[in-house]
Amino acid sequence: MPSMHEELLRLKAVAGAELAAISQIGELEPFRVKYLGRKGEFTLVLRQLGQAPPEERPRLGQLANEIKQELESAFAEREAQLAEAGAGAAQPTLDLTLPGRAMPFGKLHPVTQVMDAVCSIFEGLGFAVAEGPDVEVDFYNFEALNIPPHHPARAMHDTFYISDSLLLRTHTSPMQARIMEKEQPPLRMIAPGKVYRCDSDITHTPMFHQVEGFLVDRNISFADLKGVLSVFITRMFAENTPIRFRPSFFPFTEPSAEVDIGCVICGGKGCRVCKQTGWLEILGAGMIDPEVFKKVGYDPEEYSGFAFGLGIERIAMLKYGITDIRLFYENDLRFLSQF
Amino acid sequence: MKFTLNWLREYIDTDLEPARIADHLTMLGLEVDACVPCYPDLTGVVVARIETVQPHPNADKLVLCDVNVGQEQKRVVCGAPNARAGLVTALALPGAVLPGGFTIKPAKIRGEESCGMLCSAKELGITEDQIGIMELAADLLPGQPLSLALGLVDTMIEVDLTPNRPDCASVLGIAREVGGVVGKRIKPPVEETPALTGENLPFSVEVESSVDCPRYALRLVKNVKIGPSPWWLQQRLLAVGMRSINNVVDITNFVMLEYGQPLHAFDFNKLAGGRIVARRARVGEKLATLDGVEHQLDSEMLMICDAERPVAVAGIMGGANSEVDAETTDILLESACFSAIGIRRTADKLNMSTEASYRFERGVDPQGVPKAMERAVQLMAALTGGGIVPGGIDYCEGVVAPSPISLRGKRTRALLGMDLTLDQIGAALSGIEIEVEWVDDDTLRVTPPSFRVDLEREIDLIEEVARIVGYNLLPITLPMVPMSFSEQEPLRELRKNLAQTLTALGFYEAINYSFVAPQHCDLLGLAADDLRRQTVHLLNPLAEDQSVLRTTLLPGLLENLRRNLNHQSHDVRLFEIGKVFHPQGSKQPEEPFRLAAVISGRRNPGVPVLHAGETPADIFDVKGIMAQILDSLRLGSAITCQAGVAGQELPFAEPGSVLAIMGGEKILGWSGAFCQKTLKAFGVKQQAFFVDLDLAALGAFAPQAKTFAVLPKFPFVKWDMALIVPEGAAAGEMLSAIHGCGEKLIEQAEIFDVFQGKNIAAGKKSVAISITYRAVDRTLDDETVGKIHQKIIEMMISRFNGQLREA
Repeated sequence: MPSMHEELLRLKAVAGAELAAISQIGELEPFRVKYLGRKGEFTLVLRQLGQAPPEERPRLGQLANEIKQELESAFAEREAQLAEAGAGAAQPTLDLTLPGRAMPFGKLHPVTQVMDAVCSIFEGLGFAVAEGPDVEVDFYNFEALNIPPHHPARAMHDTFYISDSLLLRTHTSPMQARIMEKEQPPLRMIAPGKVYRCDSDITHTPMFHQVEGFLVDRNISFADLKGVLSVFITRMFAENTPIRFRPSFFPFTEPSAEVDIGCVICGGKGCRVCKQTGWLEILGAGMIDPEVFKKVGYDPEEYSGFAFGLGIERIAMLKYGITDIRLFYENDLRFLSQF
Repeated sequence: MKFTLNWLREYIDTDLEPARIADHLTMLGLEVDACVPCYPDLTGVVVARIETVQPHPNADKLVLCDVNVGQEQKRVVCGAPNARAGLVTALALPGAVLPGGFTIKPAKIRGEESCGMLCSAKELGITEDQIGIMELAADLLPGQPLSLALGLVDTMIEVDLTPNRPDCASVLGIAREVGGVVGKRIKPPVEETPALTGENLPFSVEVESSVDCPRYALRLVKNVKIGPSPWWLQQRLLAVGMRSINNVVDITNFVMLEYGQPLHAFDFNKLAGGRIVARRARVGEKLATLDGVEHQLDSEMLMICDAERPVAVAGIMGGANSEVDAETTDILLESACFSAIGIRRTADKLNMSTEASYRFERGVDPQGVPKAMERAVQLMAALTGGGIVPGGIDYCEGVVAPSPISLRGKRTRALLGMDLTLDQIGAALSGIEIEVEWVDDDTLRVTPPSFRVDLEREIDLIEEVARIVGYNLLPITLPMVPMSFSEQEPLRELRKNLAQTLTALGFYEAINYSFVAPQHCDLLGLAADDLRRQTVHLLNPLAEDQSVLRTTLLPGLLENLRRNLNHQSHDVRLFEIGKVFHPQGSKQPEEPFRLAAVISGRRNPGVPVLHAGETPADIFDVKGIMAQILDSLRLGSAITCQAGVAGQELPFAEPGSVLAIMGGEKILGWSGAFCQKTLKAFGVKQQAFFVDLDLAALGAFAPQAKTFAVLPKFPFVKWDMALIVPEGAAAGEMLSAIHGCGEKLIEQAEIFDVFQGKNIAAGKKSVAISITYRAVDRTLDDETVGKIHQKIIEMMISRFNGQLREA
């Protein structure tokens, strides 16, 4: 049996030669396990240290550690050399142009995405969210909003009826009346939801989505309406979006306004989408009509406020350049996956 | 409301460009929908007089015309039957481009030179319905450009009127608004109206109710000659899309467009008894209107009657029995004001909408009645050769003068958020003919003009001020409001969270219509007493397949699935979160939210086949998804998925595939595989799976609080066992048995293989289970674990009638 001293020197020689012969990075790990690992040859030799005569143990221990450290640093050096060489060389075995193995994921409907974006802007301004019934009573959909039976404004709403008194809401504005009836100012609310009108073509579907919003307090002015809606538009579109307010008519607001933005398609130069005007109508708004306040028991001399409503599909169509509104309700994956 | 620029300029002096006028109108709340040239570009088309006409030597139907175009004479080949010497007509010279895009070139026609083309009005895009080449007034100067000679340079502007502005359903009304912009007053065609006496007239008027009919005027024009209208009148009507009928009818239409006051011309000699009565219809009465439709009348409807019978539906349409025709000589002309609500109700009931009813429904100016009448009879005298019978009847008992309104400066400033002086406020109003007087240093007394039926309250005037000042000049401020925190509605949060979870699981969100086909319940095979068959019906659906409100979301998703498969998208994961509707008698229906999802196609949609293969999704994909959905909600053991819940087989599911999602004893939803019959019914040609959850019920369970558990300090060890058990043994029960055996060191048990076949006896299966052991206070040694593991093996063998599988 060779002495432990000899055994150590032999290991040093053998391992050194083997290390020098390694040319592939993949051969390094087996080498490390064979000689330097927890069950490697040096470890085995060192375990036998206990059997050596006590006076030799310090010397042998020192020698073994020296050799091991030498070998470890030689190993590290070789590893670095091979890594450097490998980095320069081509690696034909790995074709990284093959597709990756991603986890599947889906997407929210574009209407939901735009709805969430609209709501979060107003929620950021302190507006609370309330949702109401899709099947509404005639009173809240019309009369509470100053649209009595036979009012010509009813012609603007192609209403789906369920009975004499029940209908599918034609706008989310009934929530104004429902909330004001229950709560006292100050109020800042938005009401998102589905609305229905019997109309169907390339720009109308019989169901679509709206967000109604209103703010009521003392001393609220038309200038405040302009301010809040301007903030919304610049957040929703771009900081420098041109905005204009022009007079319009809604039975439940006065003064009433329609709000246009500079055409996002042509940049205001005039195109088919903006009918050559350079402007796109994106929401309706106005100061809440005193009649609406009276119906819910607010004193219009004390409180004032504004309300607004916007169509989500229209905004989505403008933002994404969608040309046919019906696509929203076909749920074709080729469409849904685009947003 | 359509009008043309030239027409407008008859009443207001402005040289503003059409586009500028359109812009001003839009910013005044009269939204311009179109602003387009009335006539095509007729460059190169001139007035020409035919001097001589000779036969074409080589064609029977063609002639050779020598035409005078001013400085020179040209030879043109023409095929029109009305080509004759002396006719003044239109010639398109070589180089002219006709509206159809046809370019005129010198040509040889059957061997004869032709230097241009004599044109019909239709070929020039001027009118639709003329035969032969144009017949122009003989005094037009040959060689003159045709558009100049005929005034064919004009712009048509169309305004989308809001219901509150009937005053602008007239060219004069629009002109008044433009006047406010340019700071000028309009020049109406009639300044003075004569006082009418009702003596010695061959007719009388009776009005039953001054509420139904506040004003009713009649005048007689005798000996008219019915014929075509002069070109200028035709041109006005054609330019706004109205057909020219005859001179009398055209005049009534023209004056209606001019004044906004509908007029009606009766053939006086067709009226019985020289008496006109404005009264409600009697039960059983009928009237055939001008459009040839016979209407059944009722006592809500106001009629214009002669001594015997109805002759017109008041304010909507005349009767065929008193219609003006080619033989008519005497015209009884009506100018009136009817109750807006009455007209609206009648028009609704009769399902009629006319230019007249449009205006009456919104309210006409009671003071416009005599003006429009005067204008119309003057035109009739001038254009039909008729004689105006002096006097007339003007019943006006129902006319109420507008009440003055107080307008406070302070209130105006507060609502508009703009510092306006009372002078500025007053000036804004008086610019559009609204009369104001100062009451005190901050109050105006405003008397709305009769034509502004929309101005009744202070707020109406404040809107006018804002409109005239210009919305865009009003300041922009943010409201000063108290800070507040808006509560989130828990169900809305739940829906949002679920949507996020499902997208993370590879699902795309679908949104379907709330209304569906009633057949959906049949296609799903729902039982006759299934609650989902009780639907809310629409009274006026757009189509039969959109006629009931949905009670389940699954049919919509199945239809989406079919659509996607048809479009070659084969790997489909769709979900929808939306309301279903359950009727509650005459009350509003219940509208609970549900979540439904469908899965079909590959297990790993969107992952390259290279990596994931083409393995289709199966029932365990759905079960796993269901588990992940529930896990995301942190509802813990309150919610369980159970197979084989009694009495709840779903007619649309594959038997034995259904898992019920239970909250205690309550079923919150289902997952499973659609059966072939249902898939076939919906036209879906591949296997599909579903999830259907009642969110309202699910929302009733509170999520568990998030609490921290100390991380283990000591390692676990895993010991496996493989048991051969009867094939009917439920794997889930085997795991439950291990978890429930009371051994504290068991952290987890997991099935990692189920095997039947080689070396396993028939009727048996091998179930391999891996158990994780861990102690909180020490590293476990083999001896301890071995003893416990052996105990569990023995327990499992006896409980499941099994045996240990030899390695």
